[in-house]
Amino acid sequence: MKNTITYLVLFVGILIGISSCTKEVTIDIPGYEEMLVIDGRIETNQPPFVLLSTSKEVYAPTDLNSFLNGFISGATVTVSDGTTTVVLDEICSDNLPPGSEPTVAALLGVPESELANYHICGYTTFNTAIWGQVGKTYDLTVEYDGQTYTASTTIVQPTYLNSVFWKPDEGYTDRGYSWANLTDQAGQFDAYKWEVKRIATDTSGNPVDNNFTPTFSPVIDDEFFDGLTFDFYYENPFAQGPEVPDDELFYFMYGDTVVIKFSKMDKNVYEYMEKKYTQLATAGNPFATPTNIPSNIEGGALGVWAGYSPTFDTLICVP
Amino acid sequence: MRSLFLVFITLLSTALYSQENTTLSGYLTDGTSGESLIGAKIYIPSIKKGAVTNTYGFYSLSVPAGKYTIEFRATGLPTEVKEIDLTKDVRLDIEMGSNLQNIEEVVVKGTAEDNTKSTKIGQIELDIDEIKTLPAFMGEVDVVKTIQLLPGVSSAAEGGQGFYVRGGGPDQNLVLLDEAVVYNAAHLFGFFSVFNADAVKSVNLIKGGMPANFGGRMSSVLEVNMNEGNNKSFHVKGGIGAISSRITVEGPIKKDKGSFVVSARRTYLDVIMKAAIPDDSPFAGSSYFFYDLNLKMNYKLGDKDKIFLSGYYGKDEFTFGNQEDDFQVTMPWGNGIAALRWNHLFSNKLFMNVTGTFTDYLFSFGSQQDEFQFELKSGIRDFGGKVDFTYFPNNRHKIKWGLDYINHTFTPTSVSASQEDVVFDTGLAQQLFSHETAAYVLDEFDVNENIRINAGLRYSTFAHVGPFTRYIKGDISTQDSTIQYSKGDILKFYQGLEPRVSLRWLLPDKSSIKAGYSYNYQYVHLTSLSAVSLPTDIWFPTTDIAQPQKGWQGSIGYFRNFAKNKYETSVELYYKGMNNLIEYKEGALPSDNVNDNTDNLLTFGRGWSYGAEFFVKRVFGKVTGWVGYTWSKTERKFEDLNNGEVFPAKYDRRHDLSIVVSYKPTKRWVFSTSFIYATGNTLTLPSSWYVQNQDLLFHYGQRNSTRMAPYHRLDLSATWYSKAYKEKVDPVTGETIQVKKRFKSNWAFSIYNVYNRANPYFLYVDNDGDFLQGDFEIKVKQVTLFPIIPSVTWNFEL
Repeated sequence: MKNTITYLVLFVGILIGISSCTKEVTIDIPGYEEMLVIDGRIETNQPPFVLLSTSKEVYAPTDLNSFLNGFISGATVTVSDGTTTVVLDEICSDNLPPGSEPTVAALLGVPESELANYHICGYTTFNTAIWGQVGKTYDLTVEYDGQTYTASTTIVQPTYLNSVFWKPDEGYTDRGYSWANLTDQAGQFDAYKWEVKRIATDTSGNPVDNNFTPTFSPVIDDEFFDGLTFDFYYENPFAQGPEVPDDELFYFMYGDTVVIKFSKMDKNVYEYMEKKYTQLATAGNPFATPTNIPSNIEGGALGVWAGYSPTFDTLICVP
Repeated sequence: MRSLFLVFITLLSTALYSQENTTLSGYLTDGTSGESLIGAKIYIPSIKKGAVTNTYGFYSLSVPAGKYTIEFRATGLPTEVKEIDLTKDVRLDIEMGSNLQNIEEVVVKGTAEDNTKSTKIGQIELDIDEIKTLPAFMGEVDVVKTIQLLPGVSSAAEGGQGFYVRGGGPDQNLVLLDEAVVYNAAHLFGFFSVFNADAVKSVNLIKGGMPANFGGRMSSVLEVNMNEGNNKSFHVKGGIGAISSRITVEGPIKKDKGSFVVSARRTYLDVIMKAAIPDDSPFAGSSYFFYDLNLKMNYKLGDKDKIFLSGYYGKDEFTFGNQEDDFQVTMPWGNGIAALRWNHLFSNKLFMNVTGTFTDYLFSFGSQQDEFQFELKSGIRDFGGKVDFTYFPNNRHKIKWGLDYINHTFTPTSVSASQEDVVFDTGLAQQLFSHETAAYVLDEFDVNENIRINAGLRYSTFAHVGPFTRYIKGDISTQDSTIQYSKGDILKFYQGLEPRVSLRWLLPDKSSIKAGYSYNYQYVHLTSLSAVSLPTDIWFPTTDIAQPQKGWQGSIGYFRNFAKNKYETSVELYYKGMNNLIEYKEGALPSDNVNDNTDNLLTFGRGWSYGAEFFVKRVFGKVTGWVGYTWSKTERKFEDLNNGEVFPAKYDRRHDLSIVVSYKPTKRWVFSTSFIYATGNTLTLPSSWYVQNQDLLFHYGQRNSTRMAPYHRLDLSATWYSKAYKEKVDPVTGETIQVKKRFKSNWAFSIYNVYNRANPYFLYVDNDGDFLQGDFEIKVKQVTLFPIIPSVTWNFEL
């Protein structure tokens, strides 16, 4: 559904595009003020992990160095489940406790082998008492530069997919989308996120993916399918880019093997994610309203404190 | 209501007090076509009294009995002078210019002195023949684009049909086609107007001092009247243009009694697109076209009765397909409009018009991707009836009163979706039902020779009635709930008094001062998510939550003519205040109104605008045209937007300049040019960016705080006419005489955006590359729509 609206917005853009031309301009955009960005998450059986940075002016330098220097050290970050309260430890990518590399690599989107080349600092803990548990609500407190920011998120009961399967798309035998069958819980708010990771390894034996990649419009709530059982599909987020032939775009090929991460989240996290992916899909389109993403953080920071309850399925792409 | 009645009685009694002896009344028509003449003048120089014909060509003038020389003047026709001995009431219908045989007749424009003498403040009538010679975008003559060249009126965006009058929104203009409301007056996302110039007879814009007989919109009235058709002989005219062709057929139903006219227009963009998109392209099957049909018939039932039937039907159809993605979208939208009118003369002093109108606007959007189907519909259906009386008690008063009723059915969105055999719950088709009524009375009277006042009062009501489902959205922990209203339930009733007054004070030096005040209620709203107007903008009525818009405007102006009325000049100042304006809440999405009411997504605020308008027009001569300049400021304040702080409206324009010049060196050539300069529109761009979970996200700063580069453009046109007369030897006298040719044609050449200015249509912030690769960049980009576009159109008439 949301896809359709996005398409509407996109194709009107295409129509305009037929007769239009585009050029780069420099124009005054007033109103910038630096804000703290909190990017925090907690998943079932995983430690809480928080990255702190600041927002940058549109015309600010965008090189790697300024990006990496944007992460904030020296804040006090506390997570509480109501009974246990833990102050998170600051850890840096070039000085990680042994064993935490894969997790941190996934969280940062940096290959595990390259972690030591960067100095990215985040906040986490190895105290398993505060690791994510289904049904618990986690309160986050960030104290930095004399300001206090708070947020709360719940790891909701997961819903397991009834099945995942692959079938060739019409007119093909060797390519198709990833399908699943879901029974939505009736009479309650449910919101889902769909992410994928390939299991294949590259020529040197390293896995091609360290972390899960969200698909296009990866989040959806059950407004239109509350209590229904139905099949649905998602495209392959990896099958894009200049090296992918046109007729293979967004398809999983026969024999591909992927892990599907199907997560649930609470309503506030969903609202953040929904607006985030809408913004990513419509950024720059004049027919979309400028959308600021509604943060669940109190105290005037950007970002989100997100709890997820993922379930995992392996999909082998054979009929 | 009682106070309204008292005002009416008072006006009526003062009017009747000064009874005159005789009344001269009748209809003025064009002698060659039988078309009624709107706004033609009847003037008695000896006593300096006069009258003006109404929309139906009727006039009534009461004067003491006596012998008079009376002048009848109409735009583009020679003045008729009649000697009449008025001893009793006289009915005098005149077919003007019927014995026009010779090209040497001097034809004077009929607008001389009206500029200073009428009480019309902020009101402009456009000559359709003049519009046709101005530069036209892609050769499509467009009345709305011409209106945008007037001071106080600005366009929404490049090529846009939406127009903003004195800081009011595009929904605040009452657009009437033969008295029926037009909701969406645009084709092709706003680039072309629904008004086919061949079918249009007159265009009148009221941007301030709205008289009490108009209501329902806050900013302006755009009255478009269609041609009635030639009631003497059959004619065909048409044109072949770069993107569309037109044809009009007109003729008598019964000679001098009734006539008809049918106009049709269709674009051939779809044919061009089909040729441009190869069959093996993934986008094959994508196309666009629009067509429209205008029909009008009238019939005289006798000396006292005349009926008119007007109809418009237009449709746009957009198809977009991507075969590879198995994706198909169809998007038809269009208007159907009908008006049936009956003119009746109760006496030579009392004129009545009864109108029944029907308006239907439908927008639909259907998509199909694999087995997933989606359909969205939005529409409005209005049935309306009104009755208007005009009473001419004596030459000092003209009194109008009337009643107006509209039954609205709004369907903001109706959505259905399915995938194979699973039907998704997309909520109920939301429909909103309402009744809008109004009663008004006004008197235009001369206090003395120099002061004329047009005072009126309008009383309007609006009822939002059931059936209706109100959604109450739950918070994070509670379920959504609904309240059901059944048919006949009144959810909310609104009413209000709308006083209107305008005054003209004639100064001894042939100049005048005019002032106007109007208060208006508006019961419909246009909700727009995007920065440019789209058919996806949804009309929405007043409901129990969305309150009626209210606005007032005060204006004052100084008008003066120079060089024997060759030049008309004016300066007008205005201030306008507006309440209950609507916008979407921050972050609202169009899809959010499924299982919800659209008004739950809206937020309400106020706005104001003030400005000064300067206008100089050269009315006749080889060179004609005008210069209009507007300085204005338009702002908005909403509790829930922009942290409650004041922000500029998106079409806030500090400077707006238009120059229009026509040059007629010979009878067969007209050269025209127009130049526009306007301060750039405002928009909201992200002021900062941040990273969350490896995605780059934007954060927006102050609303509408970025201003685009100024808009300016020069257009040129040249029209070449075939010879209108041929030489013939008179068989009786043997002399060579000139005879009117039946077949006439002209070539209209136009160049849009002569110096190829890259005007901003919108700006966006784009990001490219990858952090880790080190080639990441953020850029602000400007999209320009139309480069230099030459066009040629061939028009004919026979």
